[in-house]
Amino acid sequence: MSAAPAATGRARPSPGTRRRRLQGLGDLPAALVFILPATVGFVAFLLWPTLRGIWLSLTDSTAFQPGGFVGLANYERMVADPVFWNAFRVTIWYVVLNIGVQTVLAVLVAVLMHRLTRSMIVRGIILTPYLVSNVVAAMLFLMLLDYQLGFVNEVVEGLGWDRVMFFGDQSLVIPTIAMVNVWRHLGYTALLVFAGLQTIPANLYEAGRVDGASELRMFREITMPLLRPYLGLVLIVTMIGSFQVFDTVSVTTQGGPANASNVVQYYIYEVAFSRGYDFGYASAMSVALMVVLATISIVQFRATRANQNDMA
Amino acid sequence: MTTTAPAPAPPGTGTVTPASAPRRRRRLRRPGLGRVLGWVVLVLVMLATLFPFYWMLRTALSTNAALPGGAADPLPVGFSTEGFRRALGLATPAESLADGGSGASLDFPRYLLNSVVVATLVTAGQIFFSAMAAYAFARLRWPGRDVVYSVFLAGLMVPVIFTLLPNFLLIRDLGLLDTLAGIALPTTIMTPFAVFFLRQFFAGISVEVEEAAKLDGAGRFRTFFTIILPMASPAVATLAILTYMTAWNDYLWPLLVSQSEDSRVLTLALGIFRAQAPQSAPDWAGLMAATLLAALPMLLLFGLFARRIVNSIGFTGIK
Amino acid sequence: MRKTAHLAVAGSLVLALGACSGGDGAAGDEASGEITYWLWDSNQLPAYQACAEDFAETGDVSVKIEQFAWDDYWTKLTASFVGGSGPDVFVDHLSKYGEFAAQGQVVALDEMIQADAFDTGVYADGLLEPWQYVDGSTYGLPKDWDTTAFFYNTEMLADAGLTAEDLWTADWNPQDGGTFEDVVARLTVDTNGVRGDEEGFDASSVAVYGMGINPNFEETGQMQWANFTGSLDWDYLDSNPWGTQYRFDDPQLQEAIDWFYGLADKGYAPSAGVFSDETPTQLGSGKVAMGTNGSWATGSFMELDGVDVGIAPGPVGPTGERASIFNGVADSISASSSKQAAAWEWVKYLGSSECQDVVAEHAVVFPAIPGSAENALAAFDEKGWDVSAFFSYEEEGRTFLAPITLHSGEVNAIASVALEDIYLGNTDASSLTAANDSINALLED
Repeated sequence: MSAAPAATGRARPSPGTRRRRLQGLGDLPAALVFILPATVGFVAFLLWPTLRGIWLSLTDSTAFQPGGFVGLANYERMVADPVFWNAFRVTIWYVVLNIGVQTVLAVLVAVLMHRLTRSMIVRGIILTPYLVSNVVAAMLFLMLLDYQLGFVNEVVEGLGWDRVMFFGDQSLVIPTIAMVNVWRHLGYTALLVFAGLQTIPANLYEAGRVDGASELRMFREITMPLLRPYLGLVLIVTMIGSFQVFDTVSVTTQGGPANASNVVQYYIYEVAFSRGYDFGYASAMSVALMVVLATISIVQFRATRANQNDMA
Repeated sequence: MTTTAPAPAPPGTGTVTPASAPRRRRRLRRPGLGRVLGWVVLVLVMLATLFPFYWMLRTALSTNAALPGGAADPLPVGFSTEGFRRALGLATPAESLADGGSGASLDFPRYLLNSVVVATLVTAGQIFFSAMAAYAFARLRWPGRDVVYSVFLAGLMVPVIFTLLPNFLLIRDLGLLDTLAGIALPTTIMTPFAVFFLRQFFAGISVEVEEAAKLDGAGRFRTFFTIILPMASPAVATLAILTYMTAWNDYLWPLLVSQSEDSRVLTLALGIFRAQAPQSAPDWAGLMAATLLAALPMLLLFGLFARRIVNSIGFTGIK
Repeated sequence: MRKTAHLAVAGSLVLALGACSGGDGAAGDEASGEITYWLWDSNQLPAYQACAEDFAETGDVSVKIEQFAWDDYWTKLTASFVGGSGPDVFVDHLSKYGEFAAQGQVVALDEMIQADAFDTGVYADGLLEPWQYVDGSTYGLPKDWDTTAFFYNTEMLADAGLTAEDLWTADWNPQDGGTFEDVVARLTVDTNGVRGDEEGFDASSVAVYGMGINPNFEETGQMQWANFTGSLDWDYLDSNPWGTQYRFDDPQLQEAIDWFYGLADKGYAPSAGVFSDETPTQLGSGKVAMGTNGSWATGSFMELDGVDVGIAPGPVGPTGERASIFNGVADSISASSSKQAAAWEWVKYLGSSECQDVVAEHAVVFPAIPGSAENALAAFDEKGWDVSAFFSYEEEGRTFLAPITLHSGEVNAIASVALEDIYLGNTDASSLTAANDSINALLED
């Protein structure tokens, strides 16, 4: 079928020389061509800004003026800044709730889709919230969950319960924002998991069925172990995204009430764009955020790798 | 590990029995409790997913002035299609202001076109170049590969806010401010996520197939285009959809880069319906109408893409 | 010294950018071409569009107006300054311009004012001074002014057996709230129909709150408590503008703040989190009888469906006067504009009675030139909206400046959290002393 027809006119090295070459540079020439465009993009839009950001974190630059070198002053300020530590705690709490609920639901939905239906309609419906931008999703829930005028609170009251201050209560605001983002990202995450499920050979399930295994047992003994590497990937990606929650906070609470939802990226944004245009300090906090993300990712990635090796 | 080891891939690539046939038979035979329960959960999730969309439609068809008083009404309050007229730019500024709109004129078709151009550029470029890189990381052997890959991966962890302004300055220096190319460029060449995602899938494709192609004399580039890309097409399609939607919904970056109507994308146009001044309530009806209209092309596109994914699912059986 | 060096560098950078970003940069200092003008309030867009059309006929400069929602406006403006790609002229805000001036992003207008012998005396008293930065230069020409007052639901007032007169003659003190609190209590109704000043009132189950509270926590208190604290013998700063010592540690002020947020505990005002929108929406919901807001929001109240709204000024306080913050927005010129001469022509036109009279006709704001403001008053009257309350402070009370200091963004961040903590009931107003210390430490550098 897709196998290519026999060689064109190009002279081919004998298998012997070819093998010898593989031991040296391998596919380096081809590889260079393959990675060239991506490398250009990577250097221009990620690596360079990052190095620049690290440099800025060591200066007293503002948005408008380059600053002088100040050593670790910005980091010292960060360590002593109670608002930063609060933002850090708030962000961790958000990520735990957001990723916890989202991952469990996404695996559930993906497995159900995988085992029950190939219907594109179902898949399409699950993905629809991702059609709406973060900003609009946040505004929509702001309206639905409003204490006075929100439909959800009308229903809550109709059921005889007390109205709930979803965005106005200091202990509820983070769970609420976490759930809004679960709503928007569930389909996305489920689809990523689903893509992983598709790589599990169908004949394994057939074999399991012949052995009379229940769905639950097949989930435990076939699906989960084979899905784990993909789940690791999905977790890394969603967690990194989750740590950078911003739009929802910016639209719904601006970090309130009283800093209860002031997450790290929002705080950084405020420091850089509205508090004092203090790019040096904002960069220092960004570096800290990056270190945290890197640590978590490396730990996750190690775990995933180990697993893959087991399977191979 | 107690799992049954994955069965070795059957030698003939085309000979895998379609998985769906026997399963369908079985499903008919045993509509067990588990399946019913599974469907119940799935339907509940779908309802929770769709309800906010119903609420958008209901709000889009309401009148702004009547909304605060009709919070408990599950139907449109003060039914009106003015919200849609405003979103499509059909209402005069005076009409728009009277209905709680912004009065700004909207050129919906143009924003739509701009969004399509940006999202298409980003998706096509990002997936193509990222796939090339992913292939080099997954299937080629070369010195330094793992180091370079790790550096690319590290890019995943760079907070968005970190790159926002340096990229803005770069786009300015390239003279691309206020152009669609400027909006698209930073994500058009690659994202670490796309490389990461595709590498994972390329690595899963069986070596035999590629070896067979190699024996047939296909070069690396031929192999990549004729074997690897088609075989990974479910992954590519999935990624393409997600990338397209991400590009479509991006807000902060286009907000910075775009200045005039010429480069205004749909999400920015939606911004017009947000709170206009700190004291005024958003134009809810207009915002929701515009959001629905903006999501419509995506739904259509998804419908088109869907067939491709379904068709390509058969290929994954190969693994 | 180092600062001036930076400014010079930034200045030359800006010039270089201006030269390469403007397509017709060669036209440089000629007062011609097209300039861009940014504003955030969509309600004012038609008025300024009309001004721009008239302006285009007077000379070679045409104006392209772009409007961005408040939430996006400042982000976009900041980025455009950094990128040297901003508007030529933009509507500026008192809480923001100090920082822009410090960073050399807005143009000092003094030379142009002098060169053209432009008469800045035409503006209402107290409007121009806040736009003079600590360096003595003027960075904006006033375009309008505003005061705050109480918007009330006339039907609810009548149901309570009260009249507008009761509000206009109300007095207030921070101990028992005076007759103003009596009015608020009277307007409050619990779910059993018992009023706030009646026996058996249930503060935990309120149907209509006598007074709404805006969810805007600001060091100015403009949207919340400034009408009250303004009638105390107290001011925000040791000297305003550009003072360096805040006075949130004053026991008198703290008593007033405790009284204000304490209205929620009494059931007369909604607790924190009950309303996430400002008072226009609160009154519109039918669950709030009265609420503070600025004159700029008049239209939002008057156009509420099914709610008839009246406006009364703040109560007379311990000093024997009613009081309100008096301030306004102004037009500034970006330092990165490559068409400064044209920009100045437009700013001048915006600050002239030609344009301000046109704005007045639209009845959205009160123009900065008193004669034009009178026209606006007439235009509001024509719509059947009695806005005399906003003028009452000037005539028989006290108007005062919102606090203007350096680092206003950070001051706001500290004060807003401290105030919201009090409203949330996490602490009382004595905690403002600590916040005051951090703010003053900040202002010392």
